[in-house]
Order: sequence, then structure tokens, then C-alpha cells
Amino acid sequence: MVKRTLTLLMLAALLLGVCSFLGWGKPPKVVGLFVVSGMAVGSLYALGGIGLVVLYRATGVLNLSNGAIGALGVMVAWQLQQWQIPETATWIIGIAVTTLMALTYGRLIAPGLAWRDPVVKAVATLGFALIVLGITAFAWEDDIRKFSLPSDKIAYTLLELRITLTRVIVVLSALVIVIAVWFYLSKTRTGLNMRALADNRDISALIGIPIVKTETIAWGISGLIAGFTGLMFGDLVRLEPFVITFMVIPAISAAICGQLRNLGAVLIAGLCIGIIESMMTLSPVLKSVRPMAPFVIAILVLMWVQRGRTNYFAGN
Amino acid sequence: MKKMTLISLIAFGSLSMIGTASASDAVCGLDNGLLATGESIKVGGIYGNAAPGDFSAATDAAGAYFKCVNENGGIHGRPIEYMVENDQWNPELAAQAAAKLVDDEAVVAMVGNSSFVEMSVNAPMYAENGIMAMASGCAVSECFESSNIVSTNQGPLSSSVGAAIYAIEELGATNISCIGMAIPSVGNWSCGAVQSYMESKGLNASFVLLNPAAPDVNSALLEAMASGADSMLVNLPAGLGIAFLNAAEEQGIADAYSWTSSTPLYDASVPKALGSYWSGKLFISAELTTIDGAGPDNQNWLKVMDAYANADDPRDTFAQSGYLSAKYFVKTMNQMAPEKVNDRAAVTEAIQGINGYTSDLMCGPYYVGKADRHMPNHAGMIVEVRDEAFHVVRDCFEYDGPYFQPILEAEKALGLR
Repeated sequence: MVKRTLTLLMLAALLLGVCSFLGWGKPPKVVGLFVVSGMAVGSLYALGGIGLVVLYRATGVLNLSNGAIGALGVMVAWQLQQWQIPETATWIIGIAVTTLMALTYGRLIAPGLAWRDPVVKAVATLGFALIVLGITAFAWEDDIRKFSLPSDKIAYTLLELRITLTRVIVVLSALVIVIAVWFYLSKTRTGLNMRALADNRDISALIGIPIVKTETIAWGISGLIAGFTGLMFGDLVRLEPFVITFMVIPAISAAICGQLRNLGAVLIAGLCIGIIESMMTLSPVLKSVRPMAPFVIAILVLMWVQRGRTNYFAGN
Repeated sequence: MKKMTLISLIAFGSLSMIGTASASDAVCGLDNGLLATGESIKVGGIYGNAAPGDFSAATDAAGAYFKCVNENGGIHGRPIEYMVENDQWNPELAAQAAAKLVDDEAVVAMVGNSSFVEMSVNAPMYAENGIMAMASGCAVSECFESSNIVSTNQGPLSSSVGAAIYAIEELGATNISCIGMAIPSVGNWSCGAVQSYMESKGLNASFVLLNPAAPDVNSALLEAMASGADSMLVNLPAGLGIAFLNAAEEQGIADAYSWTSSTPLYDASVPKALGSYWSGKLFISAELTTIDGAGPDNQNWLKVMDAYANADDPRDTFAQSGYLSAKYFVKTMNQMAPEKVNDRAAVTEAIQGINGYTSDLMCGPYYVGKADRHMPNHAGMIVEVRDEAFHVVRDCFEYDGPYFQPILEAEKALGLR
């Protein structure tokens, strides 16, 4: 608990330090604009990171295919909209497709790798991601497309920056998902099973935890989050499968900042990464290296929390 | 979507091609209706097709034109064997593709090249091997500032300067923020030319370079807004450009600035993707004539595409550009002595001798000449996005500015001015 708090404090200090350095001498209003803008992107990173951590905590699999699955989901939703299917139905079907994809992997492929090293499991999901991306790219050739939600038309003003309802939904969803998942894992029987499974699969099996059922639920939840995240990415970033697929990379950075465990830290880290990345635009020197920000932050946090102890890929 | 219908299109297309090809009234090469025979003349072409973009439109169109030429007398009766390679945006593959075509296959020229990766990598190789590349999709400075590459398209520099000229003269811009890509030889090169142009007119400009790997376009928008500009010039690939304009729409600032763009946003799917918000507010520089242009050569391009290209091959600016490069190549080859058309050095010399070719597809004359840079296409038109369609608001006009001075001098020397 103390260490988690220290990690959060470290992230906050890093954020404050970088923002002060980059925003020094700039009008507060300008700094405020960039902070708010960064929060909007950061909430997307956080959402992606939360999806990763939820599955990792339940199954021990770092699912690198979340981005690709989400991209497929939003492309399906877009395609259905072109066929004049009601919007609500397209979102539901898009999320259903991602859930189905995640369940397919979880039921058909993941069990075969259950006893392998976590790195092998992670690399297998990367392979799955590339297959899904290939299918998506085959079905939808490179073209100009736009995916929008009705909530884009409603906006609020914060520090003179207009924030659409969609962005508010993303931030609130990240918060709600963190709370809901924490509650689910902490307070329900299935959540307890998931934690036990992630900690030690052998013993969990011996004491009678229904492994297949528990993991199926975890993969289903992961697919749901990936579907929702894909819809948000498609709307707020770009409807390009390649871009959405690799949004999983900064999401991994956020997840690593939360040590693949602490959902609160993932949320804060995602927001920090987004804000720092946005603030780097203010520096003529650093703005060209903005894409490095998620990884530099993840490395700094890793160095802080590691201190010769945790090995993420050999936890079992 | 396109792939979903591919099988049916191939089936239908292969049947219908038999009838339409022969029934087409497209005019190609010698236009004598005779099938070319004998030893083929090898011609190469390299395009890029992998995520995130497919730039095969130019080589598709050049290939369609060559097919038509082969059914209409070829080059002095001999057929063209058009050999096309995909570099997949990979510099190593680009170098391999060029080595295969230039060294192994001994092609006499490259036509329709449309990979900016390939051009950066292979420009010195073309010069060393004395081969000309009649490109169709130049985007980087190395492509335009090379002795052995000449393109029918304008690239980001010319079309951005064209957009800036329109912004000043018609939209009252005094301070432009050019939003470009943070890719060497692209964003800083093209937006830098806009800045030089503005400064040469006593006006202000700045540029914001967007990292293509960064998903956040809001920061670039805020940076552009903070620059004090009164006009925004979007100089981005279409997907990123749409994302940038979406961010601007989110901020509701379309009326606070004038908006122009370089050519990438001149794509048939852009007006619908942008929606009604941008109707009447965005002006785009078009490098070649409009896709539905009524000129005889543009109509001929459409006929060639209908008769000889696949049904789902794009009918866009790059396809126009590929057709034009192929047409000028064939015209040049047919003007050569028949015994010289397989001699690379002679072909290179003939291409370098091209001067004053005209087409309604291009606003100005096409020429090559022996020079360390080539940019024959530096005049264009402006289209407005209105009611989910494009409308021409300014017909052909020539661009000026410091960057074009040496080019204009070269044209004077060639007697074009």
C-alpha cells in the first residue's frame, strides 16, 4: 500500500516537474489548454491500459492484441453504418465482435499456452494481433473514413478548450471501469477466482477453481473493454486500423506504470503520459520526440518501482 | 469493402474486359489498332503498398496505358513489358526492387514510380546507372532535387505554395500556419517553402510539424492557434488531415481562420468524410485537372482506365499522374530511332530532351532537360469543398516564390518562357 502510494506520488511529482519545466514562462491559459488537451488523449491511453491489466490480473496474459481487436470492432461498426443499420445496433455489434474475438482466442489458443512462460503468452497475442490486423487491412483497404458518435455534437468548455461529450465519456468510463473492476475482483467470488488463478494456476486447479469458466469470463471482459476502447479511438483519434492497433503501445506503458496490477496507477499514468506528451509540444526541442514520452515515463517508473525486486515476466 | 467485392469484380471484369478493351475508343501511342509484336521493351516501376497506405494508383494507370499502347502499335511495333515492384515502404526492399529492375532486368527507364521511400533511397542509384525515372508520385525533396527523376505530380511543396497564394489573394491571409509531417525532406521542406514565400511578400508564416506516430493532433492544433496565424494550411496525408480538421471542428474554429490544404485532401472520399461543417470553408490545391475534367486528354485517361485497368483501381490524381508519365514516355520513345529504343543511354538522352509537352491534365508544359532538379508541374487549380463535393473556384494559375526562381530560369533557358 505504501509502495503504491509512493508510485503515485512519484508519477505526480514527475508530471508536476515536467509541466513546470515545459510551461515555464508561458501564460497559464496556454499551459491549461495543453494540459486539458493532454488529459483527453491520456484518458484513451488509460482506457487501453486498464483493458490490459484486467486480463493480466485474471489470466497472467499480457494481451497485445487488444488494439487490433478494437480496430476490427470499430471497422465493423463503421461498415454497418454504411449499410444504413441503426447506430446503436452497430456499436453493439462492433463490441460483440471484439468480445467474440477475445473469447475465441481465450478458449481456443490461450489454453494451449497456459503453462508457458508469460513472455511466450505475450508474444502469441502479438502474433494474433498481426493476424487480426491483416484480416482488417484485407477487408478494408486503405481509404479515408470517419467514424463519429452523436456525443461529438455536445461540448463543454474547460479553460477555453472545448471538450466534447465523447471525451468526457472516455474519462468517466476509465474511472468507472477502474472502480467496477476493483469491486469485481475484490468483492465477488469470480473475482477471487481470477486473482487466485493469476497468482498460481496449479494450486487454483487443485483447490477446484473452475479455470475454463473463470478465464472465459476474463477474456470476455477484456473483449468488451477492447471493443469500447476501439470505438472511442476510432472516433477521437483516427479510423485507421494500423493506428488503432498500435495505440496499444502507449497503453502498455500506462499498464507497466501500474505494475500490471494497480488499476488506479494505470489511470493516473495514462493521464500523466497524455499530459506530458501534450506539454512537450511547447518545447521546440522536445516536440519532435513526443512519441518517446510513454516509454521514457514507463522506464522511469519501472526503475523507481523495480529497485531490484519484481520481474514482470517471471512472476509465476 | 473493396476487397469484399473483389472476387465478383474480377469475375465480371475479366468477362467484360474482353468486350470493352477492343470496343474502347481510347487513344494510345501510335493508335493504329495493331497488336505490338516482337522483342519487348522492358520498363520498370516501383510503388509502395503496405500499411499505412496504398500508392499503387500511378503504376496501375501507367500499366493500363501500356496495355492500350501494346494493342495500338506499341513502340515502333514492339510491345512494352512493364515490370512493377512493391517496396512496401521498406528502404531495403526499395533498393532491392531498383537493383532487380535496373541491374538484373536492364529496364530502359522507370515510369510511374510512386513511393517516396523508393525515391529517397534510389535517386543516387538512378543517377549512377544513367537511367531516368519518369515518376508520378514524388513527395520528398530528394525526388524533385535529383538529376534523374522527373515527376508529373507537384508534391507537397508546390501544392502548399499554391494553397498559400490562394489564401493570401482570395482569403486575405496575412499569417499562415502550415501544418506538415515531421518527416525529413517532407514537412520542413514544403512548409519551409511556404514560409519563404510568405516572407518574400512581407507576410508572416510559421509551421507545425506533426509526428505521424503521435495520435494526438490536438496539440498540433493548439500550437498552430498559438502561433498567431489567421490562416491554416493543412499539408498532411488525407487520413491525418481529416483527423486534424476533426480536432478543429471539435474546437469550433472553422470560422476563426481561413483554411487551405495541399493536394492530399483532394480525394473523392474527403468531402463526405468531412461532412457539412466544412462546406464552403476549405480550399484545396489540385495538382492536375479535376477527376471529371472535360478536356480530351482527361477523358482519354478515363477511357483507358475503363478499358484496361481493373474496375477497383483508383481514378484519382495519382492515376492521372501515372497515365501522363506513361503517355509522355511512349510519345518520346516513338520519336526515337527504332534501333535505339532498347539502348538505355539513348532513352535517357531522349527523355532529357523532352520539352514543351502539353496536356489538359496539367496546367503548364512538361519538360525534363539536363538539370540537377526537376519540377515541371508548378501550376495548378483550387477546389472548394462544398455540399459534399468539390467545386473549382480558381482555374489554372502559376506559383511563384523564392523556391521556383531556379526552375523558372531553367525554363527560360529551354525557351519555355
